[in-house]
Amino acid sequence: MIRFDRMSFRYPDQSRDALGDVDLAIEEGELCLVVGETGAGKSTLLRAVNGLVPHFTGGTMHGGVVVNGRSTATVPPREMASTVGVVGQDPTAGFVADTVEDELAYVMENLGTDPAVMRRRVEDALDLLSIADLRDRPLATLSSGEAQRVAIASVITAAPRVLVLDEPTSALDPGAAEDILAALTRLVHDLGLTIIAAEHRLERIVQYADRIAVIDGHGRVTIGDPSDMMRTAPVAPPVVQLGRLANWNPLPLSVRDARRAGEPLRQELADRKAGPHRQAAATGDVVATVRGLQHSYGTTVALRGVHVELREGEVVALMGRNGAGKSTLLSALAGSRRPRSGSVSILGGNPRSITPRELVRRVGLVPPDPSTLLYEQSVDGECITADKEHGLAPGSTRSTLDAIQPGLDPERHPRDLSEGERLALALAVVVAPGPRVLLLDEPTRGLDYSAKERLARVLRRFADDGRAVVLATHDVELVAAVADRAIVLADGEVVSDGPARDVVVHSPVFAPQVSKILAPSEWLTVAEVEAAVCQ
Amino acid sequence: MIAVRWRSSILLVAASAVGLAGFTWPLFTHPRGTENLAHASDAPWLFVILIPLLLGVVLAELAEGGLDAKGVAVLGVLVACGAALRTPTTGATGFTGVLFLLLPGGRVLGRGFGFVQGALTMFASALLMGGVGPWLPFQMMAAAWIGFLAGCLPPACGRAELWMLAVYGALAGLVYGLIMDMWFWPFTTAGGNQLHYVAGDSLAENLRRFWGFHLASAFGFDLPRAIGNVLLVLFVGAPVLAALRRAARRAAFHAPVTVLT
Amino acid sequence: MTPRSLHPIAWWVWALALGATALQTTNPFLLGLLAASAWLVVAARRPSAPWAQSFGSFVKLGIAVIIVRIVLQMLFGVRLPGHELFTIPSVDLPEWAAGVTLGGPVTAESVIAAFNDGLQLAVLLTCVGAANSLASPYRLLRSMPAILYELGVAVTVALSFAPQAVMSAQRVREARRLRGRPSRGLAGLRGMAVPVLEIALERSLELAASMDSRGYGRRAPIAARDRQLAQLATLIGAVAASIGVYGILDGAAPGGMGYPMFAGGVALLVASFAYAGKQSVRTRYRPDPWRAPEWLVVACGAVALAALLVATDVGVAGLRPDFSPLAVPTVPLLPAIGILAAAVPAFLTPALPVTR
Repeated sequence: MIRFDRMSFRYPDQSRDALGDVDLAIEEGELCLVVGETGAGKSTLLRAVNGLVPHFTGGTMHGGVVVNGRSTATVPPREMASTVGVVGQDPTAGFVADTVEDELAYVMENLGTDPAVMRRRVEDALDLLSIADLRDRPLATLSSGEAQRVAIASVITAAPRVLVLDEPTSALDPGAAEDILAALTRLVHDLGLTIIAAEHRLERIVQYADRIAVIDGHGRVTIGDPSDMMRTAPVAPPVVQLGRLANWNPLPLSVRDARRAGEPLRQELADRKAGPHRQAAATGDVVATVRGLQHSYGTTVALRGVHVELREGEVVALMGRNGAGKSTLLSALAGSRRPRSGSVSILGGNPRSITPRELVRRVGLVPPDPSTLLYEQSVDGECITADKEHGLAPGSTRSTLDAIQPGLDPERHPRDLSEGERLALALAVVVAPGPRVLLLDEPTRGLDYSAKERLARVLRRFADDGRAVVLATHDVELVAAVADRAIVLADGEVVSDGPARDVVVHSPVFAPQVSKILAPSEWLTVAEVEAAVCQ
Repeated sequence: MIAVRWRSSILLVAASAVGLAGFTWPLFTHPRGTENLAHASDAPWLFVILIPLLLGVVLAELAEGGLDAKGVAVLGVLVACGAALRTPTTGATGFTGVLFLLLPGGRVLGRGFGFVQGALTMFASALLMGGVGPWLPFQMMAAAWIGFLAGCLPPACGRAELWMLAVYGALAGLVYGLIMDMWFWPFTTAGGNQLHYVAGDSLAENLRRFWGFHLASAFGFDLPRAIGNVLLVLFVGAPVLAALRRAARRAAFHAPVTVLT
Repeated sequence: MTPRSLHPIAWWVWALALGATALQTTNPFLLGLLAASAWLVVAARRPSAPWAQSFGSFVKLGIAVIIVRIVLQMLFGVRLPGHELFTIPSVDLPEWAAGVTLGGPVTAESVIAAFNDGLQLAVLLTCVGAANSLASPYRLLRSMPAILYELGVAVTVALSFAPQAVMSAQRVREARRLRGRPSRGLAGLRGMAVPVLEIALERSLELAASMDSRGYGRRAPIAARDRQLAQLATLIGAVAASIGVYGILDGAAPGGMGYPMFAGGVALLVASFAYAGKQSVRTRYRPDPWRAPEWLVVACGAVALAALLVATDVGVAGLRPDFSPLAVPTVPLLPAIGILAAAVPAFLTPALPVTR
């Protein structure tokens, strides 16, 4: 179905090839997963399937890509629309209409489809993706999971044979991600579509892949059976890391397979305990309190009487489904919102009544999109501006940044950085004035595993320096790696608040993969298991 | 980015001539006899029909072949930002920044693009604010000229470029107000008014009357607009220009595509 | 009749016909009747979307026009003889300020004359406001001629992106506050404008890739000769229409240069538009139907306009009443009945669908 014939590609004005000598074939009806580190070239590979590379981006391509008998060298992307459907990283950025139904019909209108056929296919797509009740909704009101499904439906209506998805589940909470994966497997097994997807968060999707393509740092691609490829891939989910550690053969890719293979390991670990590789930090001073906080947006109540205490030296994870009130709580802590009732105090002061200059020395918030914080033209410019804004010695922000992420080119434009690098820059800028409370709202969007590890180490260091760090996230693996305490919000109320291990381990929704594999023993991360095994 | 070919140039000149006539016809009408007088008062409504048609023709001609998906997307986004700027910004009363984005837009992306951006910004903001009225074709025409002429400015760099844009922005703001007043002029004064135009009278006399009207009515809006444009260009112009240039580079409009098998 | 929204162009044609009707008369009673008909239809058929609330602003704008006219008349008007109401102290303005005379006695006749002239414009604005409130701008964009398709897409993108730009600006402003920076004034604007613009431009590239991948810009192959013919027709039509307008305005031009040239040029332009539309390969998904109710709406507007035109031709008294001797103008019957027909769409068209 898809054939890359010794294809290599170089962007205009670049000195290195983005993809080198790619030679692979993907059969019809396969779910092919593309993995690799950030910047390896996953997006380039995906865009080469429908011809965006090279026709949209410019550049030089050697070799060829043939999809269902059509070569992208001669067929521009707009003519490939009936064969290949592409969904980008941000589905909402691709919307052109104002209601869901019109969006679904857009591609067929462009292709000149007969109106009766259009009508039928729109109904079919609404059913396939289970979005029939969203038909008349304006696109601006969709949640991220709904938007992703609408984006997939909007390319399915052209009846393509191939579907290309760039990070379909990275911005979604676990429930929505499962919905998308179920829809994708349905498309593959019921309709026989060929699906190529690139993902960072491999925990859930790796078990469904028929084949995995790995892109290394030099633009070379190898493809093969999932278990074989994951044995040596540069990025791997916890289940694979555990499998590598315990030398399971064949390498299991799902929790179920790992449990079957893991009986000997469980027995070996039965009498060991997860070493206290971090302190249960309940002894620091209280730096922030929230009492009886109530907040609502118009008629929707976001928070109902929330009580929270933050102590220095601990990392608190704030979890809950979308709409539970996590972002609202963080905004209230940062003083962005006036609560309807209740009080917030940071180091004894109400954040809404402190001057902005003083506020940044007490609390810092990194928003979900860090680029809203950055407005200079270069990394160096941001550091210099931050130094000037807060009256710091010149170079202090730069050294903070180097401690978080060394090796950033000072002349690069902040928007040209990768997600992890941008987050590091935003963190440096926020941390520069030295706030005691650090808040992060969904920092893991678009981060690969190594960037997440780096983030976990940095947050741990911040906490050990005497700060209170609060992390609102869906990513249970990150919570398992770094959090001391976990607070679960649901419907605006605190449902559980306690040491992270206790809250997370026995919950089917929030448990990390390692604990699900090794249940009933309480293990959170591969690092813990490794430490215990190597004793 | 949008090439202005000879066909587009002819249509542009024709449309602009009609547009100019649509604004300044009170200064030039020469009716003879009473029946023509009645026809002369139909003039504004004829222009209301004709100018949208001609504008549509010019826009279509400019768009054809020159506007691919990247161009449409950048155009749509800039038009959206311009329309969002139309709500009065905090601070100055009556000042709206809608003309501001046309200056860097026309400068960086070319005069054809500036023309289309100006026309569509007015159109989109009228749709957004629910105010499609008989003034709209004229506002579109005037804004389109501002965008077009911004693209015709001579090349310059750095501070010189900023000052050039600032001066142009001030002039554009004043002239925009002048032109829209001239369109508005026949509607606010009737025949029995000293400030009303007298058909057939000399150009100087009619201009004198118009100047009185202009002073009496909307001068208070034009000065803040001009000053606001200058301030915006001087303070925000450099980063906006840089952002547009970077976007134009990353979008790789008309980038060469080489395929070697 | 099943509830549905009518085709937006039907409403616009109706409103423009009513506007043209308003231009044919300055009789305050006829004008008032016209405004009342428009108001009735709007009250009956206006949807509850946010864009439909602009009728009130147009009415207010009309009232403002009347007031401006009256004030300018009082300040600068040529003095007609009549019943004096009061006197504004008169000031001779200097030569650089146009040398006119400010002030003087204000007569009832001049005030009423100004009111009447302003009323005509105000009613015209009311009719245009009615069209704004009744016809959805989004569906109007979808009905654009195919030749303007790219620009229609740009405007659609702009309309859906503008509220996101505003939200993005709010988020950026919040982020600036979190960095301890001012979020007001010019310095704040600089810090806000650039991130919002950069975010917008990044999204536009994503949007362009998505549009390209979904078939945007496909064209049908069309013979070069046909295309050149269409372009020539466009050029000739544009030039002809321009000459026609000049001919209308300049009384000394030969008779054939006026309206016939104008009408011919416009017709040629419309024809070339329609022909160029054939070049597009796009089909329309569920286009707005044009059925009997649309024809009814258009017919009602046409009837009102026709009644006034016929009345003008026949020379019915009272269409343009004179106010120099102050008297209450009469209400001519034929035009009044024609104008009442304009209110028929309030009753005989399908009701709006109930939104869930």
